[in-house]
Amino acid sequence: MGKIRIFVDSSDELGGQQYKYIAEKSVEDLGLGGSIDSIEMLIRVEEPLFIIVIRYKEVTGKKTLGDASYIDSRKNGIRITLSSEIFLGDALKALWSKYGRDRVEQIGRLEIFVSGADPEEVKGIGLSEKGYDLDSRINELATRIIPEGFRVRSSTKKKGMIAIIASEDPIREDWRELARRLEENTHA
Amino acid sequence: MLKYLLFEGGLYKHERILEFLEDVGGFLVQKTVVGLDLIMNLAVPEEELGRISGIVSELKGKLTPAPLIGTEIAVVAPTLSRHHLPHPACDIAENLRRHGAKTNIIGLSRGVGQKIVHTTIKEKELIEEHDIAVFTLGNFERCLMKKTKLFAEIEVPVIVTGGPVMKSIPGAEAYVGGIGRYPERARTGESIEKLREVSRVAGEVVEQRRREMDLDPLIVDPIIVKAEVERQVPESTEALSPNPVTLKIDGVRVKLPYDDYKDKIGNISIGGKKLSDFAVIKRSLMRNYILVKVLPKSMF
Repeated sequence: MGKIRIFVDSSDELGGQQYKYIAEKSVEDLGLGGSIDSIEMLIRVEEPLFIIVIRYKEVTGKKTLGDASYIDSRKNGIRITLSSEIFLGDALKALWSKYGRDRVEQIGRLEIFVSGADPEEVKGIGLSEKGYDLDSRINELATRIIPEGFRVRSSTKKKGMIAIIASEDPIREDWRELARRLEENTHA
Repeated sequence: MLKYLLFEGGLYKHERILEFLEDVGGFLVQKTVVGLDLIMNLAVPEEELGRISGIVSELKGKLTPAPLIGTEIAVVAPTLSRHHLPHPACDIAENLRRHGAKTNIIGLSRGVGQKIVHTTIKEKELIEEHDIAVFTLGNFERCLMKKTKLFAEIEVPVIVTGGPVMKSIPGAEAYVGGIGRYPERARTGESIEKLREVSRVAGEVVEQRRREMDLDPLIVDPIIVKAEVERQVPESTEALSPNPVTLKIDGVRVKLPYDDYKDKIGNISIGGKKLSDFAVIKRSLMRNYILVKVLPKSMF
């Protein structure tokens, strides 16, 4: 799991730099650190135009802890290593509910230790029934970053990527072209 | 002229300060006790500053000039959405309160968008009920320049905060840069220093306004009006709202229903005269509270 790459191309450099910070904090607040690969923003205040392209890892729903983690036995208990940070909240809730808070300890970003538990029993513990709705969280992320005045929006969704063109005015064709170029630019 | 000071110290022998204030015609604006610590907002005649400093020094307390005491400031955010609240508007408001001001946060209905941005008539009137307005704008210079129409016609002094580093902005008394849109509480030394700068600039604007008002002084000082309202209308101190009688530069806001209490407030006797004889008493747009605006001597 690498660091999130955030790129900003802004006609107002000082203003644009602040948006890098806003993007970082918004990702952190929404708990999307493990899912987002990169965020790219193109800001032209004079147009006005704001394009954001978010690339992320698609996540398939995991029904049980056994699906979402690797479990191994330790002295006095078991260690659970989650495959992604996004399951952390649901995993902790399910384990607290079954074993109580004093037996469940988060020992690392992705690791949980449960004292006196049986590995087979833990594997079968169900996570949230609803499943993890990553798409709506990504949309929420984009909504939080894009300035509120840029109310006219056009979005494109592909596998592992969402691109949103935002402006105060009707979306122009040359802006769509800019967005397409941004989508193709992987910064590899 | 009265000078406003913030006293920080202990409870021990603090009555000496209160007795001194009574002797010289000063006032206790607000007293807050936290454990054994005491914070008092004081109003002291300018010529007595030396003597009160001496007393505070003997009591091992601390006295700081706090021109924002006795002011009501509107912190105006472009909207009430999470883009603009709570940061930086609430951070700025909190810092202003630490320096003695009373603050209200106002979120505009249409403070966003370069083309559609505007302040409605009611919003303008609500902002003008305050002594100063602080508008918290965003990060882009071009955008800020388009938004000057938000405050160009506001008749109270306006301070604007924004991200770009500029000396001034048209339509505002002062501009503080380096505080644009940010998504978390101000934690670093640099950002907290910026908040203090806003309070310092607000203090300068208030002092300037008070000096101007001194050329045609009010018939009676608002602090006397506050004291008499609290004494003659006991319901004013029992109201559940914070600061039920809020001091302003040129009057007070009484947080009681206008229709039920306007006559009682108007009939308050000060120096043998009724308050309604030398003050304008009107309905506030904020929850139908009562606004009392003391008139200057030239109008009486």
